[in-house]
Amino acid sequence: MKRYGASPVHLLAHLAALALAAWALLQVPGLGNWQRIAVWLVAAVVVHDLVLFPAYTVAGRLVGRSPFVRIPLALSALLLLVFFPVMCGKGEGAYTRVSGVEWDGYAERWLLVSALLFLGSGILYAVRSRT
Amino acid sequence: MKGPPPGPFRPGFFRSPLRGPRLTAILGLTLLGLVAIVAVTGFLSHAAYQPDLGNNAIVEPDLPLTFFDWPTGPSWLYALNQGLHVNAGLVAVPWLLAKLWSVMPRLFAWPPVTSAAEAVERATIALLVASTIFLFATGIANIQYWYVFDFDFVKAHSYAAVVFAAALGVHLVVKLPVALRSLRGRAGSELRDSPLVAIAPDAPVLSRRALLAAVGGGSAALLVANAGESIGGPLRRIAFLAPRRDGGFPVNKTAAGAKITEAMTGPAYRLVLAGGGGEIALSREELLALPQATHTLTLGCVEGWSTRQEWTGVPLLELARIAGVRDPSQLTVGSLQPQGILRQATLAANQVADSRSLLVLKVGGVDLEPDHGYPARIIVPGLPGVHNTKWVGRMEFRA
Repeated sequence: MKRYGASPVHLLAHLAALALAAWALLQVPGLGNWQRIAVWLVAAVVVHDLVLFPAYTVAGRLVGRSPFVRIPLALSALLLLVFFPVMCGKGEGAYTRVSGVEWDGYAERWLLVSALLFLGSGILYAVRSRT
Repeated sequence: MKGPPPGPFRPGFFRSPLRGPRLTAILGLTLLGLVAIVAVTGFLSHAAYQPDLGNNAIVEPDLPLTFFDWPTGPSWLYALNQGLHVNAGLVAVPWLLAKLWSVMPRLFAWPPVTSAAEAVERATIALLVASTIFLFATGIANIQYWYVFDFDFVKAHSYAAVVFAAALGVHLVVKLPVALRSLRGRAGSELRDSPLVAIAPDAPVLSRRALLAAVGGGSAALLVANAGESIGGPLRRIAFLAPRRDGGFPVNKTAAGAKITEAMTGPAYRLVLAGGGGEIALSREELLALPQATHTLTLGCVEGWSTRQEWTGVPLLELARIAGVRDPSQLTVGSLQPQGILRQATLAANQVADSRSLLVLKVGGVDLEPDHGYPARIIVPGLPGVHNTKWVGRMEFRA
């Protein structure tokens, strides 16, 4: 296995996994609109590695290196990243159709929680730098 | 040989003093614990839909995951399963982001591939990252009712889970020993020479412990933001970003949305029981005159929210007796709803046999509301929410 570069276990484990993954991927054309699924799979990697990662790295450099700034900002950004659909009312039509009630106040609550995070970190910083 | 291209391919580009095999091992093992919960509950949910019965299959039962009868107890079993699936998934998000951040230098390794083994490994990791982010993105959009994908969510999400499980399995074969060695501090030169360790690190401003605490803080924030909808009751209001923080008894399909008209549910309504040869038609008054039972049971939605109510109605076994089928092996329940793949559901023998399984006529002591399935709906303990058919028009028992 010198030419391959690792042990037979390595090769066999990868072949087994790739075969199972290929089986699952081959079910995709039967699902309808499979081109969109393929686009989503590729976009998943591209958006994380080449958009999200550079974006938060640059944002991190812009705000400076203090953890008292970076951590509350990261927490607020994390909540936004995960829950922006509900904040922007992306699913509002579908939600109101199925539930019969209105969606409201998500962006406002996120802003209030973010304000608390910044305030809390600010107080912590002030207290720490005094002692 | 030419040197690496500029930017992240150059050694020394990544400068965080925190990156290293030990940090990656801690992040990776924590993430592993969380995604293991998400994966197991995901595949269990597939089994709970009992795709091998009747027309239940949304995803074909082509993997050997449905070899057991989904149990009827405790009644909050499915709510717990989905609460874990959705909330462990949300809690995993910051660990996933941190884990990917910690191994970013490997993405820009130069030369990209030095052996056939490495090429195979990197291809598998591409599949792992693609399927993981795909699963998180589609799942997170789906719980927020944002149907931005124009493909079948359930099928795409479950086949992507198979790709994920395969790629994760082999990633563990390769990396778990490395992670464990790094944690035990036995990696020696492997630690020092790791490509994850910055060649020219910045001065540290944050300890590794503080970074891990911050990632855990992200998990806690997401959990507080959402978990109330899974637990139900007064905690629902605390869940400040949960898609289903509406109080009371949530509706997930209105009568109007299901195209149920008053003509269908008015005095002309009849429930048709079939199976024992002929068909028997019963009005709502006749159903109310049958023996009734009351049970407090939890209804859990696949999207991770739940509600606990007091249900009153006719036990399914009583209806089987009237239909003339002793010990039914299956029951197919059909809704008055004219369209939709979920307008019918087939239940297994153990579900029909449970004395708490009811054809519900009242909730909390009052007549069912139209949006909750008036004139009659099903409740079976532990059954996925959407299989508790509303506006029941037909019940077909099989011997």
